[in-house]
Amino acid sequence: MATAESVYRPSTPALSAPAALGSAGGIVTEILWVAYRSLRKLSRSPFLLFFTLMMPIIWLGMFSQTFGTVFDRAASGPGQAPLAYNYIAVLLPGIAVMSAIQSAAQSGFSMVSDIETGFMDKFLVAPISRASVLLGKTLADGVRMAAQTAIVLAIAFLFCVAFGWKIPFATGVAGDAMIVVLTAAFGVAFAGLSNSVALFTKRTETTMLVSFTLTFPLLFLSTAMLPYDLLPGWVQTFSKYNPVSYVATASRTLILTGWNWTEIGQAFLAVAIVAVLLYSLAVFAFRRQTA
Amino acid sequence: MSAALAAARSSGTPAEPMIDVTGLVKVYGGNGDDAGAGVVRAVDGIDFHVDRGEFFGFLGPNGSGKTTTIKILTTLLRPTGGTVRVGGLDVVRDPREVRKMLGYAGQSIGVDGDLTGRENLRLIGHLYHLPGSVVRDRVEELLEVLQLTEAADRPAGTYSGGMRRRLDLGSGLVHHPPLLFLDEPTTGLDPQTRNAVWEYLRALHRTERMTIFLTTQYMEEADQLCQRLAIMDHGRIVAAGSPPELKAGIGADLITIRLPQDEGFEASRARALALAQGVPDVSGVVEFDQGVTMRAGHGGATLVEVLRRLEADRIRVNEVAVAPPTLDQVFLQHTGREMRVEEVRPTSSGPWARHRRD
Ligand SMILES: Nc1ncnc2c1ncn2[C@@H]1O[C@H](COP(=O)(O)OP(=O)(O)OP(=O)(O)O)[C@@H](O)[C@H]1O
Ligand SMILES: [Mg+2]
Repeated sequence: MATAESVYRPSTPALSAPAALGSAGGIVTEILWVAYRSLRKLSRSPFLLFFTLMMPIIWLGMFSQTFGTVFDRAASGPGQAPLAYNYIAVLLPGIAVMSAIQSAAQSGFSMVSDIETGFMDKFLVAPISRASVLLGKTLADGVRMAAQTAIVLAIAFLFCVAFGWKIPFATGVAGDAMIVVLTAAFGVAFAGLSNSVALFTKRTETTMLVSFTLTFPLLFLSTAMLPYDLLPGWVQTFSKYNPVSYVATASRTLILTGWNWTEIGQAFLAVAIVAVLLYSLAVFAFRRQTA
Repeated sequence: MSAALAAARSSGTPAEPMIDVTGLVKVYGGNGDDAGAGVVRAVDGIDFHVDRGEFFGFLGPNGSGKTTTIKILTTLLRPTGGTVRVGGLDVVRDPREVRKMLGYAGQSIGVDGDLTGRENLRLIGHLYHLPGSVVRDRVEELLEVLQLTEAADRPAGTYSGGMRRRLDLGSGLVHHPPLLFLDEPTTGLDPQTRNAVWEYLRALHRTERMTIFLTTQYMEEADQLCQRLAIMDHGRIVAAGSPPELKAGIGADLITIRLPQDEGFEASRARALALAQGVPDVSGVVEFDQGVTMRAGHGGATLVEVLRRLEADRIRVNEVAVAPPTLDQVFLQHTGREMRVEEVRPTSSGPWARHRRD
């Protein structure tokens, strides 16, 4: 290996740019590099990548065939005017947010595995912010969620063309882009929970359990699966406090009727509240680890 | 470059040690009070310092507190008590500034198996905010020196243990720190690779005047590399000094006499034992499966006397050896136990993983 002559002697001056450390621009750079690393990892796991992108498509297929058919039949009973759109149009934002929640629930896994392999120490001895590590990881998950949402919308559109599904897509590509952003933003915010659990327990099993336990109540006690008017009374009450509702409702309006900035504003506000709460918790958990 | 960093790099201010530790205590579990089950006093009040440019080592058996100490010095753990200054800065109050100065290669090899060797090193370079061109150059240099160029574009998960160690070492060097921490850098390596790593570390220390803090369970490693070392046992430093100083503290050479393994072996060994015990300057005579060993203040001269007496008693001798004291004996003397090292053991993941409740 090395001899005295070949020993590492940098041709470049020592630590050339520590000025960037700790600055606002510095933190953005850190977040982007951490995110880049996570996405690189994802790209190296073809199976993971495949199932990440397949999952929402499978949901879409399943829901359209089961609930969709039942709902369509019920809605077009004798004496009722046929609906201008299929139930799947109502469900579409729900499927997108469901995929995002699932990805968010797994977000903490990489935290656990980095701790277990000792790679986390590489981040922690570097003079970078703890928040950069956390945000970089969840940003990468956000990219994944955005891709999932975009694929679901694209496939749904293809089915409209190919099989005559009736989905209005009232706001077109711009509205779809808004749904992608909104869904991914919610997913990133919700990922704060799984990362907190991961940092507190350092176990994949607990992380999975806590997140998955919350996934279904969050979805079904919201307007993600059914519009507000069709929910039973107590679920209506609950759904008003459920941030998922605001994201789903805003997205649904974009698909069915058009732009509603009040709903969109409310949805982003809900996302922001979730993010602040869960990320405070996650950062606290992160700090506690180095005690 | 910050003032602290500049100070850390300059070879001046010899008065201020690179690492200065006083009364360091680390208790796991509980809130600092020692009562209760599950509380481990991993580091139990240690003081030491490491000078700028020094090659310093922690030698100790499993669980003696080496990793705990190194994690505190590298800001990965907070101490329970005592003060730790690195490069003149307090690790608790100024962790950010301290981190800028140090490179670290942990006991559990922290390379990302999904990334290639090159990507692993580059990522670290970028995390230290080095400009892109600098990162590129340094990474290529390091890959070259660590002989990983050929494997540079393979995922690190496909590397052999030795390659992973070297890559991990490299990731502690990308930003060219003035202070390098290595936690058992050669554990699990074959002797040849171990020698290569030693050679590299020596060269690094010599030509770069890098301060190196290393932990090890291998006597030989500490002996070969460290200018000064501290022997750890149960969270305490039981002895400290340069290897020659520590050995001189024992004040005795080791004499080994091997006897022919014939039918008279047992009898001659018993005789030899008795005879050796009668020689002035000899102490601690013990039998072992091939003969007897003893300690002597003046190994050479005393050996002649012992052999003369054996000769006179017609005891045939197969082989003799005189060895200066070893660190094994130093350890034995200070702890009353022999330091046993299993050559092959699973790499533990360090304190982080040990938090897991199983
Ligand atoms: N996170 C933790 N929680 C509780 N106890 C711990 C933790 N980490 C280490 N310990 C305990 O502290 C003591 C010192 O451990 P440490 O890892 O510092 O030893 P070491 O000298 O590095 O040992 P090794 O040679 O096995 O790496 C051990 O008794 C260990 O069980
Ligand atoms: Mg250790």
